[in-house]
Amino acid sequence: MKILGLYKNTQVFKVALAIAIVVVCYIASMFYSQMKKLDATVDLISNSNKTQLELEQLLSVISNYEMSLRSYIITKEERYIEDRFLNRGKIEESLARLEVLTNNDVTRYDDVERLRKLIDLRFKLFRKTLLLAQSKKSTPLAINQMLVESGQVTDMMKSFVTKIIFSESTKTEFENNNHQFELQDSIITAFLLVILSLLILLLSFQKMNIDIVELKKTNDQLKLLNESYKTAEMTAGFGHWMVNVETNKYTFSDNLFRLMGEEPNAFEPNLENSIKYIHPDDMAYVTKVHQDSLVNQQATSMIFRFLTAQGETKYIMGAGSFTRNGSDELIKIGVNYDITNQYQKTLELEENYKELKFINTELEAFNNIVSHDLQEPLRKIQMFISRLEDKEMSLLSQQGKDYFSKIRLTANRMQTLLIDLVNYSRTIKGDKVFVDTDLNKVVEEILQDLSISIEDKKATVAIGNLPTVKAIPFQVKQLFINLLSNSLKYSQEDKLPKISITAEEITDSDLTDYKISTKNDYYKIVISDNGIGFKQEYAEKVFLLFKRLETDPKYAGTGLGLAICSRIVENHKGFIKVEAKPNIGAKFYIFLPKVDLI
Amino acid sequence: MITHQDSMHILLADDDEDDRTFFSEAIQELKMNNKLTLFKDGNDLMDYLVLPETKLPHVLFLDLNMPGKTGIDCLKEIRANARFKDVSIAIYSTSSSEKDIEDTFIEGANIYIKKPNDFSKLKKVIKEVVNMNWQFHTSGLNIETFFFSI
Repeated sequence: MKILGLYKNTQVFKVALAIAIVVVCYIASMFYSQMKKLDATVDLISNSNKTQLELEQLLSVISNYEMSLRSYIITKEERYIEDRFLNRGKIEESLARLEVLTNNDVTRYDDVERLRKLIDLRFKLFRKTLLLAQSKKSTPLAINQMLVESGQVTDMMKSFVTKIIFSESTKTEFENNNHQFELQDSIITAFLLVILSLLILLLSFQKMNIDIVELKKTNDQLKLLNESYKTAEMTAGFGHWMVNVETNKYTFSDNLFRLMGEEPNAFEPNLENSIKYIHPDDMAYVTKVHQDSLVNQQATSMIFRFLTAQGETKYIMGAGSFTRNGSDELIKIGVNYDITNQYQKTLELEENYKELKFINTELEAFNNIVSHDLQEPLRKIQMFISRLEDKEMSLLSQQGKDYFSKIRLTANRMQTLLIDLVNYSRTIKGDKVFVDTDLNKVVEEILQDLSISIEDKKATVAIGNLPTVKAIPFQVKQLFINLLSNSLKYSQEDKLPKISITAEEITDSDLTDYKISTKNDYYKIVISDNGIGFKQEYAEKVFLLFKRLETDPKYAGTGLGLAICSRIVENHKGFIKVEAKPNIGAKFYIFLPKVDLI
Repeated sequence: MITHQDSMHILLADDDEDDRTFFSEAIQELKMNNKLTLFKDGNDLMDYLVLPETKLPHVLFLDLNMPGKTGIDCLKEIRANARFKDVSIAIYSTSSSEKDIEDTFIEGANIYIKKPNDFSKLKKVIKEVVNMNWQFHTSGLNIETFFFSI
């Protein structure tokens, strides 16, 4: 793995390659010098061989002459001698060649010169012998003596030549041996050279292959990345640009051109060409921010408008930051993001918010009218009623008294309605602050508030151990007031009201009925009574605004109480359910979430 | 300005004539030994209070919603003046809005009374408030005890 890593490291590979090339060059030069030496040895050997050959030829020519001379002496046939003895042409040529061949070797050259002298001597003897043989006065004895003398010189010459040849052949043999060694060396060197070169070639090829594969892979990835980036820019509606601060060269992404309402690369990307697409009102500001940032190299962020060639105004969020490229040049990269939709939505939202605020103010004014301005005259009517009741009742007829009592009931009902309306509108209002609220304390307070009515009805109220919940205190109080008041109000005439408020475990059927995921998600508080109840089919309806069940007129309610309860429980992200049976009673289940509501 | 001569001095500032009538009738029916002074608005009340010869009242019943100087304006002025520090102030208003209750509590009123809709209740309220042990009430004062429930 480590080796592969090194192999992949181009720097290491380069060094290795350089070393290998130096080694190859060294071996190649060695090989060249070996070849050169080999060449010289071959020359030497062939030179020596040629010398030997020449010498032997020379010797054979001399022998031939001797034979011819002897043949002439015996036969006196002129054809044996002709002019050969007077002409040493072939021998001179041979000697000249020998002189050339031995030119490099001083001793051998001297040897050749001595040989030449011997040959001269021999030829002198040839001529003497020939002249003696031709002379009429010659005696066989004199000729014989001459021939013996000649033979001696010939032998001397032969032995001399043989000596030279022997010395040459010894030299040749030595050179030949050398040659063998050198040849072997050269073969090894050549082999090494070939192997090494092949190795380098193979390694380079392999490395190149790996590099190409890597490059292709990287290239493919880059292409894909580029493609997905372009798609991302199009989908998300942003474009980017870059400027090399040193060279002042700009590049724009395809989608930046589109943001300006142009085709990609529609114009040379630079400041002058693109500034035209900035809304005239923003042009000075954008240019200043950009130019300033190039000087102080601070990141920029601004919102401006593009005015496209088609006359469309686009709101753009632009952010610019600085970085350095591979050549350590300062680059500013900017991203422009089309926020037209968001901007318009924000405007719309702002508009809606204003409207809502206005409506809210109206609602509050209405609330004030209901809670104060309407209650004021009503309260006075009630006051006058109570004054009349105290002082003037005795003056009225029975029917007048009946009417009068109806006026009082109606005024009271109207007051209840007004209070309920105020309470309901208070559950809608936005300011909801959730705090830890001990329901035991809340119920305790309510029992005090309702103590008169509890005493009047001779009701018994059983309170279990209730949890502490995150709640809006006044709302949760309202919730229990309404439920308790209902239980008191809708009691049966012939039964003393029994009311209980308890916390219960969430049952398995609750989980399925109300789609609760775990038993720990909610607190479950149960308020049950033995009142007049109602048919289970109304269980949903009772929580609707101004929905009243058809009951005895003496139970007349406002149709708001349970709607307020439902609303409050919803405000706490819980829910309320009821089980009821006519003349048996009603059981209200309040589910309040245990987790934080904020 | 209608003045009843008696030992305990009570003031009421209320722009509503009917309410002033109910109030004085209730005091009459209660047959308490007290002196009641009525003002038709906040300006009248303050003009009277700042007079050097004015004897300080025991209790001031103060309506909130009045033309000119409102109840809360009067409350602020009175509480800003050290001379009136012993005057008990009972807010007497139709409103039972949390804002009004909290504001007057902060500004230093002693008790908050929502105007009753029944004459007998009114009598009960006046009787209890006039005879209240202010020292005891003020020492345990909080936003809950501040709102007077009948």
